[in-house]
Amino acid sequence: MAPAKSQPSTPFASRELNGEVLLEELSDLRNAQVPQKLLSDLVVGLRDLEGVRCSEASQRLKQLAANRFSATPALASLLVRWSAKLKVEPDVPLLIAHFERLAITAAIVASVRRAAESLKGGGR
Amino acid sequence: MGFPLSDEATEQLSQWPPRARKLFDELLDDAGSDLQREFIQRAVAAAHSPAEVHAFADELRALSDEEAYEACTLHDEEPKDYTVSQLLQAEADPLFAFELMGGTIEPNEDDSSPGFVPPRPAPTLELEAQTPLDALATAVSKKKSSDSFEAESPGARPKKLDWNDLQHSKPAQAKKDPGPASTAGQRFLENLLAEATRGLSISWKEQDVDVPGGLSMADALSSAAGALARGIPVPCAVGPNPGDHRRFIVLMQLNTSGKSRAWQLYDPFSSELLWANEGDLLAKAELPFANKMNRRLTRIVLPQSLRSSF
Repeated sequence: MAPAKSQPSTPFASRELNGEVLLEELSDLRNAQVPQKLLSDLVVGLRDLEGVRCSEASQRLKQLAANRFSATPALASLLVRWSAKLKVEPDVPLLIAHFERLAITAAIVASVRRAAESLKGGGR
Repeated sequence: MGFPLSDEATEQLSQWPPRARKLFDELLDDAGSDLQREFIQRAVAAAHSPAEVHAFADELRALSDEEAYEACTLHDEEPKDYTVSQLLQAEADPLFAFELMGGTIEPNEDDSSPGFVPPRPAPTLELEAQTPLDALATAVSKKKSSDSFEAESPGARPKKLDWNDLQHSKPAQAKKDPGPASTAGQRFLENLLAEATRGLSISWKEQDVDVPGGLSMADALSSAAGALARGIPVPCAVGPNPGDHRRFIVLMQLNTSGKSRAWQLYDPFSSELLWANEGDLLAKAELPFANKMNRRLTRIVLPQSLRSSF
């Protein structure tokens, strides 16, 4: 059954959207050596989607994947996967927020790894 | 003080404690030129903390107008991989531009001082409403021939009010006892995070938990909850005792159910992702990670300057 229009669809309503799911995506991006700057650029690009209808947002995600991020397959495929999951209007801001969290978490984890050496015992 | 303030700066100042506002007036009085005053009020409008603004004003005071303009302006002909977002923010926020150009400030701040109200997030950039930088450039060129400017010796001006005075009501021993581990004041993550999230318009502030001059655990969690509500995970240090930082973790999410709250914690080194009741964090007796030695949060790194949409 399709979710009510005011409710986000299942993937966006999951408690682990910004937990396990995010960390799995982060792991994939890290393995693919996607630079932080690309994630930041993606977030800036996605902010243009605020207020955009679901169908158009999905279309623009695919365009971003095919154009701006075509040279980064891991990021492009992530965008395409999420574009297919956009079903109702409330999904759009949640997806933007998810990618913002993804970019910020990537920055935090990278910084934490670099800073760990300063701690007692190497921080590990 | 007759210097005209923007609506954004006035709004931010309205949230500053009276003594910080008084200091702001002093900073404007001490500023060597209208250009410096403009930069200072823009830094306020961009929601920087009073201590950051104070430190920025100190840096500006040592510069000529030409040097200040250079230090706080990104040049289109030297993009240096700046993003559009950075260029836009730098135009509205001279402190951001100053740091992006390699400048550093050393704020002597303690936002936990009584009466301090953190500035609200800066409004979304509305460049049309800002004074064009061309006007500032004009001000610079005018100042070049100004006798009064040449007569100024900005760095030598005595300050009428020291920022430390704002912490007057703290217990006297707070500054004398740095705690068992002398890492107080050592910033592990702040600069790294600032660099890594610059394109996302976020700055950070490290604060110890449960050491004199730091945050209480309850206050730290309260601030972290605010950051998570805006969609920003919060890095922390954990360890066996206050001030003894052994490992970094990340507060990923906060889930509220009735009166109870659960925090999702992530250890990037062990890859553990776990939920912990807030009561356990407040009890400071044990964290749910496999390594039981690190039983409490010892430091928290809170986001400071944010886009209004966060």
